[in-house]
Amino acid sequence: MNPVMMLAAVLLPIIGGALVMALPFKKRLHMEIYLEVLVLATSILVWAILAEGPGERFPIVKFVHNLSLSLKLDGCGMVFAGLVSALWPLAMLFSFEYMKKEEHEKVFFMFYTMTYGVTLGISFAEDMLTMYFFYELLTLVTVPLVLHTLTREAILASRKYLYYSLGGAAFAFISLVFLLVYGSSLDFSYGGVLVTEMTAGKENTLLVVYVMAFLGFGVKAAVCPFNAWLPQAGVAPTPVTALLHAVAVVKAGAFAIIRLTYYSFGTDFLAGSWAQKAVMGIVIFTIVYGCSRAVKETHIKRRLAYSTISNLSYVLFGVTIMTPLGLAGAFTHLVFHAVMKICSFFCAGAIMHQTDKHYVHELNGLGKEMPAVFGTFTVSSLALMGVPGLCGFISKWNLANAAVMSGNAMAYVGIGALLVSALLTAIYMLSIVVRAFFPPTEFDEAGTKEYRDPNWLMLTPLFVFAAAMLFFGLYSAPIVQFFTDISNGVM
Amino acid sequence: MKESVTILFPVCLPIVAGLLLLLVRQPKKRSVIIWCSAAVWTVTALCVMGLVCGEETSFTLFFLTGRLPVYFRIDGIGKIFASVITIVWVLAGFYSFVYMKEETCEKRFFGYYLIVLGVLLALDFSGNLITFYAFYEMLTLLSMPLVLHERSREAVMAGLKYMFYSFCGAYMVLFGVYFVYRYANTLSFTAKGVLDPALLSGNEGLLLTAAFFMVLGFSVKAGMFPFHGWLPVAHPVAPAPASAVLSGIIVKAGVLGIVRVVYFIFGADFLRGTWVQTAMLTLSLTTVFMGSMLAYIEKGLKKRLAYSTVSQVSYILFGLFLLDPAGLTGSLLHVVFHAFIKCGLFLCAGAFIFKTGKHTVGELTGIGKEMPVTVWCYTLCSLALIGIPPASGFISKWYLCVGAFHAKLAAFSWLGPVVLLVSALLTAGYLLPVTIRGFLPGADYDYGSLVKKEPVKMMLAPLVILAALAFVLGVVPEALIRNFSAVAAQMM
Repeated sequence: MNPVMMLAAVLLPIIGGALVMALPFKKRLHMEIYLEVLVLATSILVWAILAEGPGERFPIVKFVHNLSLSLKLDGCGMVFAGLVSALWPLAMLFSFEYMKKEEHEKVFFMFYTMTYGVTLGISFAEDMLTMYFFYELLTLVTVPLVLHTLTREAILASRKYLYYSLGGAAFAFISLVFLLVYGSSLDFSYGGVLVTEMTAGKENTLLVVYVMAFLGFGVKAAVCPFNAWLPQAGVAPTPVTALLHAVAVVKAGAFAIIRLTYYSFGTDFLAGSWAQKAVMGIVIFTIVYGCSRAVKETHIKRRLAYSTISNLSYVLFGVTIMTPLGLAGAFTHLVFHAVMKICSFFCAGAIMHQTDKHYVHELNGLGKEMPAVFGTFTVSSLALMGVPGLCGFISKWNLANAAVMSGNAMAYVGIGALLVSALLTAIYMLSIVVRAFFPPTEFDEAGTKEYRDPNWLMLTPLFVFAAAMLFFGLYSAPIVQFFTDISNGVM
Repeated sequence: MKESVTILFPVCLPIVAGLLLLLVRQPKKRSVIIWCSAAVWTVTALCVMGLVCGEETSFTLFFLTGRLPVYFRIDGIGKIFASVITIVWVLAGFYSFVYMKEETCEKRFFGYYLIVLGVLLALDFSGNLITFYAFYEMLTLLSMPLVLHERSREAVMAGLKYMFYSFCGAYMVLFGVYFVYRYANTLSFTAKGVLDPALLSGNEGLLLTAAFFMVLGFSVKAGMFPFHGWLPVAHPVAPAPASAVLSGIIVKAGVLGIVRVVYFIFGADFLRGTWVQTAMLTLSLTTVFMGSMLAYIEKGLKKRLAYSTVSQVSYILFGLFLLDPAGLTGSLLHVVFHAFIKCGLFLCAGAFIFKTGKHTVGELTGIGKEMPVTVWCYTLCSLALIGIPPASGFISKWYLCVGAFHAKLAAFSWLGPVVLLVSALLTAGYLLPVTIRGFLPGADYDYGSLVKKEPVKMMLAPLVILAALAFVLGVVPEALIRNFSAVAAQMM
């Protein structure tokens, strides 16, 4: 039952999404109901699959003896699939309201829904080739979303996005070939697939290949110096920026790097090598770089995009520690950052939707008129900073704890980077909060009177995310245990 | 030790009441806000009194994750800090009823004023490092609105500066916490430290670095050089009652943090004679001198008092880093005395501003003729801060110097007392001109236009009480000394 359901979960949103264009909806509401039901049905299907736990391999297409497209659920995939399936229905709700102001929304919703299926494909992929296939597909289905507004800016951004992503994937492809030659198979298996006898004497070549693949997949995860596309892609409508460029797409990059490091090359091969130092150095640099740029940026969405760049590198920092604890920390931040960042992006979206204000300095005094939006924004800011009691603290704790336990001096530097970045996060997030709630006295209150909190479609996701941040901040033992089990190879 | 949930009551009551005050749109009436606040902090004060007089109590709320409980405990140190905080908070609170009449957004002020009281008490009752850290961050966030209350551009910038400095410190602390967690059995505060000797061996250097960062991090809030920059900016821009508690009490949160780290996490024995101790003694003495010097050349009264705080709190830190029972007793005494004195001084400065609108020392010529009682209170507090016997400051400085001699630290044993003395001279130099020029305005003072401007009783009473405490505690210090020495002895 399980394998077929996986294929169904992948295909349902892809086909159902494509049908949006074909189906003649009388009213907008009908389309909304159709889409929400479609997405919810997929999510329920995913949850049913997850409840059943890791399962059998399911080959879809077989090319030659060891090249095939096949699906299989394992612990690592469960995390990613669980994450996106929880976020998509809520993001859909938000976008119904948000897209009212935008044009040709049918095209938007078609690709938005299809992306869901493709993302599930990445998390269910059983081997490198399958993942690579869905990974490329993800780039292709999301380009129209970036392109959506069809302004000159959007066209440039989407072109950049396309070139960066395809270029990155090409580098990743090289590793696929090497794994095929030096590994037992392309399958993901915890601990890696390299065969020791064959790699002997070729270690350095393989490490070069690893670093290339890391950077290749790192393009989607916006690792410095390949991060330029992400802030620029912020021209897309906010639901895209929030769900795809803070979670699905960029985390697909991080997810691919987890697969590459822990399930293909294996940490036994990589840990302690120069390759580990190289990639860890890059992510540590990105952590600080992203935050510094965020402080400098005054456009709200671009500021959050830079923050995403930094936070994705938190996840990658966990990965490059190359211990089970590091992986557990990476998973924790992968999930928790998704909740925090999607929430802050949705707040930014709600602000833009209600007031048409795009820059930080325009936000003076809005907190009084839009308490719900700015309240949740404050919660997400505090969570991103890592204030105890909210989920960001837990994920940072796990990452730093892993770094300390690893005994790796470079990882200690990484902890310093995490904390410098936390301080910068406080600066770029709280300066918005303070502006909104405590405008200077010369500020004219009459100018903001007309603005209101948005309706329930937009507020529900915000409240759910805020509650989730608080819940995971106060009670995270079970989920952290789950991540630890996965990263120890139990699941 | 008994388990009891009562420990949470004085923490939750002001926080909940403050939140209600902030969130509920009604009442708009001033008297309701005032009397509700007064009722809440009186009840809180009674609770704290009950807990302080009772036996040691502890309570585990829940687990954040794995080995990280949110754990509260009342011990000797917590009792000292909690009692001082409550007394000062209530007194400054009554003062602010009058003072805040002329400010806007009173509701917000009293809301945050209540919440911060709850958070401070939680800080004192925190039983482990994580709980402490959590409330420490909350303190920064929630006391920031007190700083930027007036919302002038200057005030908002000062609020942000305060916040970012504090967070910078908090993250330095967190850096150390990660390492302590690895090499300690528990994060609960235990006298003589929690480090596991088996894990520790071979990693002393790493742990000393962690200790350095943690102490340095907490010292940001205590305004120690090189992280003192925010203090003279943030304290003066707040309304006077807020400056009083910021300078008298909230900086002590940093002191408490250092006490906890040095004596309850690492243990005095681990740090004695290390480079961390030397570094910290050097920094604290530098700050003592530098703060006094900057206060001496500063013209604005409130800003002068803020620099004085920079200097005086480093007296306390100097005593802590001596790692000697007498020095520690001196520090604890100075925590108490400085809280009363500095709060009293700021409230006097507030009264000057409130009644005459004069901010700088130069303008205050003849103020003693206009507001004699206030200036007498100011003078008593000043004498206590300078350390003229029998006023209270003398006792604490005496113990600090005794501690410095006992600690056998080569140069610091004589350098410390010398710096403290020089700083005391400077203290006299920057505090007493107000008294002298106030009472003796000189021949060209225009007595004809003299108007009595003494503030109302509600405002005057807290001043008189604080000045009396500052003086009387120096005359009859035996009970305090006995109590504090016992607490200090337990910690070594």
